[in-house]
Amino acid sequence: MTEVTFKQFRSAAAGAIADPRLQSAIDGATLKFRTERHHALTELPDVDAMRDQLKAIRAATLSRLADHLETFERQATATGAKVHWARDAAEANQIAIDIARQHGVELIVKTKSMATEETHLNHALIDAGITPVETDLGEWIIQLAGEPPSHIVGPALHKTRQQVAELFSKEVGRELDPDDIPGLTAEARRLLREKFLAAGLGITGANLAVAETGSIVLVTNEGNGRLVTSAPPVQIALVGIEKIAPTWDDAAVWLQLLARSSTGQPLSIYTTAITGPAKADDPDGPREVHIILMDNGRSNQIGTGYEEVLECIRCGACLNACPVYQEVGGHSYGNPYSGPIGAVLVPLLFGLKEYEALPHASSLCTACLDACPVRINLPRMLLDLRRDEVQGRMLSPVERFIEQAAAYVLGHYRLYRLLTGTARIFQRPLVRGRFLRVPRRVNPAGERDLPSLAKRSFHDLWDEIR
Amino acid sequence: MSARDEILNKLRSRSRQPDTHPPAWRSRRHFDDLAERFAESLGKSKGEVIRAGSLDEAFEQLDQTLLALGARCVVANDEPPLSQIDLAARWPGMQWHIVGRTPGDLRGFCATADAGVSSVVAALAETGSVVVTSGPGKSRLATLLPPVHIALVPESCLTADLYTFTAARQGPPPAMQTLISGPSKTADIEQTMAVGVHGPKRFIVILYRD
Ligand code: SF4
Repeated sequence: MTEVTFKQFRSAAAGAIADPRLQSAIDGATLKFRTERHHALTELPDVDAMRDQLKAIRAATLSRLADHLETFERQATATGAKVHWARDAAEANQIAIDIARQHGVELIVKTKSMATEETHLNHALIDAGITPVETDLGEWIIQLAGEPPSHIVGPALHKTRQQVAELFSKEVGRELDPDDIPGLTAEARRLLREKFLAAGLGITGANLAVAETGSIVLVTNEGNGRLVTSAPPVQIALVGIEKIAPTWDDAAVWLQLLARSSTGQPLSIYTTAITGPAKADDPDGPREVHIILMDNGRSNQIGTGYEEVLECIRCGACLNACPVYQEVGGHSYGNPYSGPIGAVLVPLLFGLKEYEALPHASSLCTACLDACPVRINLPRMLLDLRRDEVQGRMLSPVERFIEQAAAYVLGHYRLYRLLTGTARIFQRPLVRGRFLRVPRRVNPAGERDLPSLAKRSFHDLWDEIR
Repeated sequence: MSARDEILNKLRSRSRQPDTHPPAWRSRRHFDDLAERFAESLGKSKGEVIRAGSLDEAFEQLDQTLLALGARCVVANDEPPLSQIDLAARWPGMQWHIVGRTPGDLRGFCATADAGVSSVVAALAETGSVVVTSGPGKSRLATLLPPVHIALVPESCLTADLYTFTAARQGPPPAMQTLISGPSKTADIEQTMAVGVHGPKRFIVILYRD
């Protein structure tokens, strides 16, 4: 079980902050995403009303999720697809492995999918003796590097061209020029093309699933989503149960805002809807389509104050807007879901105790709320999670003591004045300029200043002014 | 209990009072000239648009495009207007694979073809997208594996945006439907744009008046 304790988060964050190359990579990428998003959204008439509509669609869908899932299952089955259900990650992975084994598959091509990142499907496949190949260029880069994604949309945005060239060179067995990015891309095209044509199975996620027709919708820029669903004879889509759009009218709103919020494109280059396996008279396409509907902690949120987190369409806009994400980078969150959405979703799905630090990875500036196309109130949920930590007595005894003492002092005026008066005298040896020197342990990156108490309190000044 | 029933029961027992589902969003877009907006939008995402005054002119443009490409092997979906002419007779110097009609290995041909030619079922002006689908005579790989995809698009199939396209849907969808809004591209290496990573490097639309 992975964990992100305060100590781990702090040291990962300090490492990221001290890495100037990483800092400039994240700054560059998030700034580009933010700028393009802004242009793409302002170009739409009525974008605010459209966001309200998406919010209403997502909220209403979740309030009747079981009905919509049943409709989806019925429609998908009618098209000839096979629908499977998985309570958790292990079940989902097992279903995929069983299908691969039934077909004697050795090589699998995959599209980028947060759901399969969530279940660590690649590890499970490798353990079962099956080779998965990521075909999204960014995902392939981090697969070669053996790293998790650092951004929901740009998984390899932390990698430099030199690092990419090195990874690719190893694959092709000859030196590639890091400054020739089109050349690197061409090598990837050549190598991965062979895999597409050789693979016995294609695995995708789903950006959304449309209940009324039983369709899976995939959005890509590279075309790998199309290839994975066209070349291999069998396809599996792993879908979180919350990703349902009841109708195509609903799906249209979702798609209209997804790419614009994510990369700032009006639509991604390819938006592909797969509705069952290829028909008898289709010249090509998969003969079998399997859809795995996965719960993995999602149903626990239904009907609670955290249901809203399931409205997420994984656009990544909140990551790009977040000043904390921009400093600490995706890997500090210790999970494929990073940034503000990760800070809320990960503790909810995988345990608040294990991921105790994540609800604190925020300055509560609410930039994520402003950026979110579904207007998900992440800051509220971050605060609620902190409250749960206090009520569940998950804080260290020292912190509890300090906070209880602080509450007591702030509630007793005379005591407060007495203590601040005394502190004014005792802080003197620690004061440097207007700040206090604090132990390195409390401030590992050495970037934060703790202001000292002013020479005279506001109370004193106020009495005088009056 | 099966995983299915367990998940559905849990959702049902936990669900709050259901919200009313909002009514469908209808397009609020209006473009005076759909063709112009289409060409402009597709151009922004590095797609190429060639305008033609008639179907005959469109075929002439196709001649010139294939000539300029130096294409020798071309795969074509068997759908109107392409199915209305004898492609092999028109371009005797080229090797053609007409999907569903030419015998032999379609997949292997697509993998080495210089270009794929298709028609479309619709085109969206707002985003500069065309819609291609699977079906008899319509290969998924023909518009995907070759380095160039040429689409013949009659102006009559233009619609304003995704909303108007969706609202006009009828019956069950085909097994595969793709909206194409430009050539395949990636920005995964240092945010630098590179085209043609997996799909076609060039996407050429011949937009003709009909
Ligand atoms: S929470 Fe909102 S902004 Fe963040 S990824 Fe999800 S939909 Fe996008």
